[in-house]
Amino acid sequence: MPEFIEMKKIDKGRASTVGTVVKVEHLKKFFAVRKGIFSREVHFVHAVDDVSFEIKRGGVLALVGESGCGKTTTGKTLVRLYEPTGGKIEFLNKDISKLRTNADRMWFHRKSQIIFQDPYESLNPRMTIFDIVVEPMSVQGIGNIKEREEAVADILQRVGIAPPETFMWRYPHELSGGQRQRVAIARALILKPEFVVADEPTSMLDVSIRTQVMKLMLDLINEMDMSFLYITHDLSVARYMADHIAVLYLGKIVEMGEIEEVLQHPLHPYTQALISAVPVPDPEFQREMPKIKGGVSKPIDPPDRCRFYERCPYAMEVCKGTCPPLIDVGNDHKVACYLYNKNG
Amino acid sequence: MSALLSIEGLKMYYDTQKGSVKAVDGVSFQLKKGESLGLVGESGCGKTSVAMSIMRLLAENARIISGHIYFDGKDLLTLSEKEMNKVRWKGISMIFQAAMNSLNPVYRVGDQIIEAIITHEPEVTFEQARERVKALYELVGLDPGRMDHYPHEYSGGMKQRAIIAMSLACNPQLIIADEPTTALDVIVQDMILREMARIQKKLNMSMIYISHDIAVIAEVAEKIAIMYAGKIVEFSDSKTIFKQPRHPYTIGLMSSFPSIRGSKKPLVTIPGEPPNLLNPPKGCRFAPRCPFATNVCLEKEPPYKEIDKEHFIACWHPQGVKRGAEDKDA
Repeated sequence: MPEFIEMKKIDKGRASTVGTVVKVEHLKKFFAVRKGIFSREVHFVHAVDDVSFEIKRGGVLALVGESGCGKTTTGKTLVRLYEPTGGKIEFLNKDISKLRTNADRMWFHRKSQIIFQDPYESLNPRMTIFDIVVEPMSVQGIGNIKEREEAVADILQRVGIAPPETFMWRYPHELSGGQRQRVAIARALILKPEFVVADEPTSMLDVSIRTQVMKLMLDLINEMDMSFLYITHDLSVARYMADHIAVLYLGKIVEMGEIEEVLQHPLHPYTQALISAVPVPDPEFQREMPKIKGGVSKPIDPPDRCRFYERCPYAMEVCKGTCPPLIDVGNDHKVACYLYNKNG
Repeated sequence: MSALLSIEGLKMYYDTQKGSVKAVDGVSFQLKKGESLGLVGESGCGKTSVAMSIMRLLAENARIISGHIYFDGKDLLTLSEKEMNKVRWKGISMIFQAAMNSLNPVYRVGDQIIEAIITHEPEVTFEQARERVKALYELVGLDPGRMDHYPHEYSGGMKQRAIIAMSLACNPQLIIADEPTTALDVIVQDMILREMARIQKKLNMSMIYISHDIAVIAEVAEKIAIMYAGKIVEFSDSKTIFKQPRHPYTIGLMSSFPSIRGSKKPLVTIPGEPPNLLNPPKGCRFAPRCPFATNVCLEKEPPYKEIDKEHFIACWHPQGVKRGAEDKDA
């Protein structure tokens, strides 16, 4: 497919000047909830509240946290499925909220894609596999029919849906869960994007199928030199998929850094609790009790203090003040906690 | 000590328009009093169907073809529906998958448990039942003051605790927990698993945990049965299953599971997908995906036999990998 090579060439030129693909600065996304008589009171859910991070070319950042912490909202905002409330998202040095022309927007959506969690819901049951996978090409107006068919066959083969000629004309209900997720991956990758948000892409899959899909994604990331935001609640999966990790708690990043460093030397009390709660596939291993109190609250109009204050075993007076900033403690390891920033 | 629950050659098929789906196809195992068993396998391998057969809560198109389920000396499959009703809740109770979402939203949680007690033990008065629920709330770590609250006022973890309290309401000897923590976040999951293990020890109950997550099973079960395509392929105590698995599927499952502890070992992928149980392969059901398969595996079904003390396996070519020893060398 000559078209791809050419596209890749142009953008390589544009991108080679930077090592960073995605740069997020002070990203905020609030949702309004109405309460009271006649819905007069307006409250805001601070789903994502002042989040900053970078993803390098070819890098995979794992975004982990419990349900409701804002992982998916961050991912959807990054590909402009949500409009951010505040902050800046730079994609290949361009501010994506300032993409005014149609061509710019087309460029952005060609270069960034998303893979959703549930392959039973993300594929239209009335479209054939070919129609599903080819859709991004048709929207972007790339290639003629023959080229599109070749591209689809190519990517299906690559994600392990083989032989493509027989699968292309089937419908999603004829495929297993693992095959559907492969189709979803093929759809996301057919335009050879530079950045992909993968929202829990393996959490609906069975163990033996999950490893296959994880391996496939890792191979493709290396081969196609893509950057990934890998959203997951499973720290052990994150360990295998990502090189960096950001731990999210109620809309804020509490800890971030190189993944082995964070998993082996967690600093934030929440990260420590999260890691000690992960079950270990070894009956002789004695885990320590996670040091954590209570349950997750909802970030509706949260007061300006550490979000983890109520549950933290080490909570101090200073934590009730303002929210602790994310500070670098060396080794590119960042943590937002007054335990490491006492004069904060 | 004789077994509390003994299943012998259980076969349960679902009749569909395309033929019968052999969901449970010759399953045998025993469970002693006070023991916990983990039933592990991927979706569609028949784990839940085994549980539903024990409870005799089968779908309309499900048929038990053959086998026996002895509980406390009685064959549950020969009991009348009325007799079976006495076994449910009082003998065996079950925590269903996603049960916490099936609490009735318009009744108080405590009342729902009281209703269960009074239905199954009509001689108990309302006041007695209420006292019992209070004690159960304390046992599972819930504030008894929350008895009069509605399900929407509970968090996910609290609902799951209430469901556990409900399953304990009629003092059963055996509890079957089907994916009891699957919908929960990891910290809540940890609390619930610890609570269940503690209660099980305290009351000396038997437990069957059903899960796809071997890490969860490793935490709570003393015995483990690995199921694949309607059959148990390996059964032993959990230490043996994790340290010296013999069946290729068990070995594959263990080495395809990521862990956040220890060195970052490469994950092994098992090629292919589980077979369609309408038309399972003729020989060993794992043979098409098995790296060690030979002609005999494709032709003849391997017998389920004891290869070591209380270590059962169905495989023509048991592997001898000692995972613990291998780790030390590496």
